[in-house]
Amino acid sequence: MPGGPRADRHDFYEILGVPRTATQDEIQQAYRKLARQHHPDVNKDPGAEDRFKEISEAYDVLSDPQTRRRYDAFGPDFRQVPEDVDPEAFQRSRARAGAAGAGQARGAGGAGGFGTGLGGDPGGIDIEDLLGGIFGGRAGRGWGPISGADQEAELELTVEEAFQGGHRSVTLERPDGRRTLDVRIPAGVTNGQRIRLAGQGGRGTEGAPNGDLYFVVRIAPHPRYRIDGRDLYVDLPLAPWEAALGTSVAVETPRGEMKVKVPPGTSTGKRLRLRHHGLPHPRGSAGHLYAEVKIVVPAKLTDEERRLFEQLATVSTFDPRRR
Amino acid sequence: MAYALVLVRSASLNLEAFALATGTHPDLVRRLVALGILDADRDAAGELWFAASQVAIMGRVQRLRAGFGLNYAAVGLVTDLLDRIAVLEAALREARRPGR
Repeated sequence: MPGGPRADRHDFYEILGVPRTATQDEIQQAYRKLARQHHPDVNKDPGAEDRFKEISEAYDVLSDPQTRRRYDAFGPDFRQVPEDVDPEAFQRSRARAGAAGAGQARGAGGAGGFGTGLGGDPGGIDIEDLLGGIFGGRAGRGWGPISGADQEAELELTVEEAFQGGHRSVTLERPDGRRTLDVRIPAGVTNGQRIRLAGQGGRGTEGAPNGDLYFVVRIAPHPRYRIDGRDLYVDLPLAPWEAALGTSVAVETPRGEMKVKVPPGTSTGKRLRLRHHGLPHPRGSAGHLYAEVKIVVPAKLTDEERRLFEQLATVSTFDPRRR
Repeated sequence: MAYALVLVRSASLNLEAFALATGTHPDLVRRLVALGILDADRDAAGELWFAASQVAIMGRVQRLRAGFGLNYAAVGLVTDLLDRIAVLEAALREARRPGR
């Protein structure tokens, strides 16, 4: 079995979150819990598969009392140490060489403490099945090629990006280094839509195809636009006289400013539709942009404004609460 | 003018091709069809045909079995539950989205 570079960087006990004195039962319990959380078919996060492999590798070593003893004695490089090396002699030679990390192996909590009382398979669990955790990685398991799992990650876009489409560079952490993907965002992508990157998901084993990576689009809240499917909503503040007399005002749209004609007698809440000025639709008609009228009054009136409003109040017979 | 209705199977695999593509034994594939884990069409001659999408499903079955030591009936249950969770999560995302 290849000793993955991950295993050399992390301590197997830390990976499973158990102390070095953990019993075999505790190790198995920790492994099963973590495996359920990080299995790539249960957890769609692109990082889950590597975490799952780490967990499986750690369990693979620690679940076998003999390999665990060797790991405790020789540390992460135990696979390079020949079978017949005496742990004590190994420690002495390492200490002499001034090699770092020897203390860690010595502090392993009594490597000789294992080996007895571990003969049975607790609870009749099929250890062979448990050990098959690293897909296709174990020689002789005979799983053959297994295609990779699909993965899912969220991609937050601005309204402008969803409107215009374009390219976005997304960096994923992988064990073989960072990987930067160029994601093409189709114009008019909507909330919850999935962008598929074929073959960029979990890796297949033994030449089987990789899974796909899906980016689930989430459009970030925007200070000006609210979004519903492909329709956009924008507030249109109007002065009382503009709303009463009608006017023509500029409204910001993702395409730039547009003139909107406000008919006379427009009240708060009225929606003025700009047809097909919402998000584009790659295979249909674009959404609409709705400018929602909101009548705003001056917080402070000048003397003249006050006089005119008072005059209007006297003259007008309009009762907005009339039923 | 009348045309006969024909089932187009351009992207379908027969049992042997499917088993080859997924690295499995045809008997196992047949068993998974019987368990309702894999979907297959049966032609007039009784031969099984698999859509290309079933290859990915077989991959998931193999991974779940290898990862958890599940028997195949349990794999069926787990895949059904995972599919239901995926639908619920998508609905939740839809309900949580900002706007109206």
